[in-house]
Amino acid sequence: MEPEQPPLELQETRAAEEPGPAEPPHRHPVRLIVRDDLRRSRLTVFFRALLALPHLVWLVLWGFAAWTAAFANWLAVVISGETPTTFHGFLGAYVRYTTHVYAYLLLAANPFPGFTGKPGYPLDIELDPPARQSRWSALVRLLLAVPALVIASVLAPVTGVFGGGVLLVAAFLAWFTALVLGRVTPGLRDLMAYGLGYTAQAFAYSLLVTGRYPDSDPDAMLTRSSAPRHPVRLSFDDDLRRSRFTVLFRLPLTFPHFVWLTMWSAVAYVAAVANWLVALVLGRSARPLHRFLAAYVRYASHVSAYLFLVGNPFPGFTGRPGVYPVDVEIDGPGPQRRLVTLFRLVLAVPAFLVYGTLSAVLAVAAFFAWFAALITGRMPRGLRSLGAFAIRYGAQTTAYWVVLTDRYPHALPTTRIQTPDAAGREAAPA
Amino acid sequence: MPGDLELRNLRLRDYFSPRQLDRSEDYERFFRIEFVVSQVALVVALALYAWRGARFARESAAGRIGTGMLLGMLGLAVGWLSQLPFRVVEVWWQRRYDILDTGYVDALVDNWLVLGAEFLSICLALLIVMGFAGLFPRNWWLPAAPVFVAIGALLAFTLPYLGDTERLEDSALRANARQLARELDVEGIPVDVEEVSDETNAPNAYAYGLGPSRRIVLWDTLLEYPDDEVLVVVAHEFAHQSRDHIWKSLGWYALFAFPGTYLIARFTRRRGGMAEPAAVPLSLLVVVMLSLAALPFENAISRHMEREADWVALDATEDPEAAQRLFRRFTRDALAQPDPPEWSSALLDSHPTIEERIAMAIAWQDRRRGP
Repeated sequence: MEPEQPPLELQETRAAEEPGPAEPPHRHPVRLIVRDDLRRSRLTVFFRALLALPHLVWLVLWGFAAWTAAFANWLAVVISGETPTTFHGFLGAYVRYTTHVYAYLLLAANPFPGFTGKPGYPLDIELDPPARQSRWSALVRLLLAVPALVIASVLAPVTGVFGGGVLLVAAFLAWFTALVLGRVTPGLRDLMAYGLGYTAQAFAYSLLVTGRYPDSDPDAMLTRSSAPRHPVRLSFDDDLRRSRFTVLFRLPLTFPHFVWLTMWSAVAYVAAVANWLVALVLGRSARPLHRFLAAYVRYASHVSAYLFLVGNPFPGFTGRPGVYPVDVEIDGPGPQRRLVTLFRLVLAVPAFLVYGTLSAVLAVAAFFAWFAALITGRMPRGLRSLGAFAIRYGAQTTAYWVVLTDRYPHALPTTRIQTPDAAGREAAPA
Repeated sequence: MPGDLELRNLRLRDYFSPRQLDRSEDYERFFRIEFVVSQVALVVALALYAWRGARFARESAAGRIGTGMLLGMLGLAVGWLSQLPFRVVEVWWQRRYDILDTGYVDALVDNWLVLGAEFLSICLALLIVMGFAGLFPRNWWLPAAPVFVAIGALLAFTLPYLGDTERLEDSALRANARQLARELDVEGIPVDVEEVSDETNAPNAYAYGLGPSRRIVLWDTLLEYPDDEVLVVVAHEFAHQSRDHIWKSLGWYALFAFPGTYLIARFTRRRGGMAEPAAVPLSLLVVVMLSLAALPFENAISRHMEREADWVALDATEDPEAAQRLFRRFTRDALAQPDPPEWSSALLDSHPTIEERIAMAIAWQDRRRGP
């Protein structure tokens, strides 16, 4: 008889309390805490949107009060350079409460949240005490917050603008998963956690709870998470330096690649069908087709990386491995389950949906990064990492539907790969 | 066109009001100055790029040809930036004289899209040049020149299918155009209309295409003119087709392509030849210098063809009065200066001057009347 495992929640809590090696040197004053065990109550999942209604009403009312308080807080910070403790507590609770409500609504967490924004919810926000803020930055805070709020809007439906596509799609998929399995997948949960964490930071910045700009780096947000090893992985060796001149003309410079990629795609689609037939019969893809399609996936990723400023140099036209700083490593042909192969396109639909919304995030991030890179000659690390995640997910999605692998794309936004130990520890809740 | 044709000098005051003459002179003088200054700016910008541009090779993870493409596109970008202020000033000037209705932003966006198309073109050109230069480092120009001519012919053939035009709807005008086409032995060539009136008030028309893709296009601004004048334009464009001017232009292009590519190969040898990406920035400068040097010859050839088309149109329409009225409108509406300075006409103008065109219509009339 196997020894009984400790409760899942306990495992996760312990993991959260352990000092992690990946702790960033300057941690953000608004941090995401994930203590969720992935389990979901099917009954509450089914009625989740209705159950969240009282919270949404309360959130709207609280919102009026919070934005009124934010105005007073703005005056206080502009005059004194620091958020008064009362405002910090009130607005901090509002930020936490918003996160709790949307975590509940979007199935990123399971229990019905309280109405006061008290700390302790499985998906929570931890806030540092008030600190001094630049008066100048405070004076034009709403203007400075626009890029962060736009990115947050594309990620999460919290701001009520742009629809928050990524989290809505993730929640839509999580709803079906939770109803069937009674739990959500770690990838979808962490994707939602990331979106909510970023939104909380954007809100805290806009409401002058903190003077630190939101950090869109998924690795910095999800400090304890690491993705399982996937046959399609992103590797990058990028120093964040960007050539201003090539940034200025980045879109037209990519035109020749668009033409070449379009032509290559036409052939790749035919090759994908052939590969599908081969995998269906042999149970693995044919080596020449695998090599051709892997080069296609790599090339498409290089072009995306270049266009969206995730990479700096002009990419080659061959999709050769190891020559571009933002590269896709693809394992050789391995065995693939025939049943999964048979229904590959249907099974890929959820991944297409997620990737569709991530493409919007990638475009928005690149839009703001374009200005930043043009002015500073450097790519903001957070936007680069967010873009890298979207490109990695896109590569995994393409690799999945062109039958290079039968491993499903992993939605966890981190770039960290699990070590064998970590993989064992995370295997339990899954 | 008769070889012994002599055009008489006109008293322009008999054809244009003093205000029209002054206005067109003011308008065109600006463009002459702007052309000179903008070309100097372009050459200086490309000279600087030829000197320092090879450094951008470090911004490439592509191979030899890919890096060459990047350097080529960046060179065009440098040229584009150097011309941007002039483009803005041009728009301002044309708006001031009510020639252009486009806003600054629209003009720049259009300009940006054109830049994208130019990027694609230079990539194709460099693919050909650097591909051949990899195989024949010294003599790449021998196989490259015919390929460029073939691409030119292919473009001349396909462009009409890509144009955003519509068929001429006016049935009376269409019937008369068919009659003219029969007379000039170019039956079946369609007359299309391009909608530009949202952007400009200037009249224009052109002939393009080869074989089955041949057609003529009238700007919709031209359709506001009286039918007899529009028919002069239609006859002029049909004349381009009947006299095979597009084929002849291709032939001239081929004649220029061989020495042109040879000179590029010659000038870039010190940078390792066109097989090396480092030679690309210099090659752009050479191309621009050669284009400027060839401009007077190209314009002389073009003017000759235009004169011939004018004469054929007069023969076909037998309406020199309408032709004169049309040419006068070009000065009134498009502010074409009737008598630009000779150096300007020789260097920059692809068409005969308005004065010459009116004089030709009079000469045709005189010949018809007889001695």
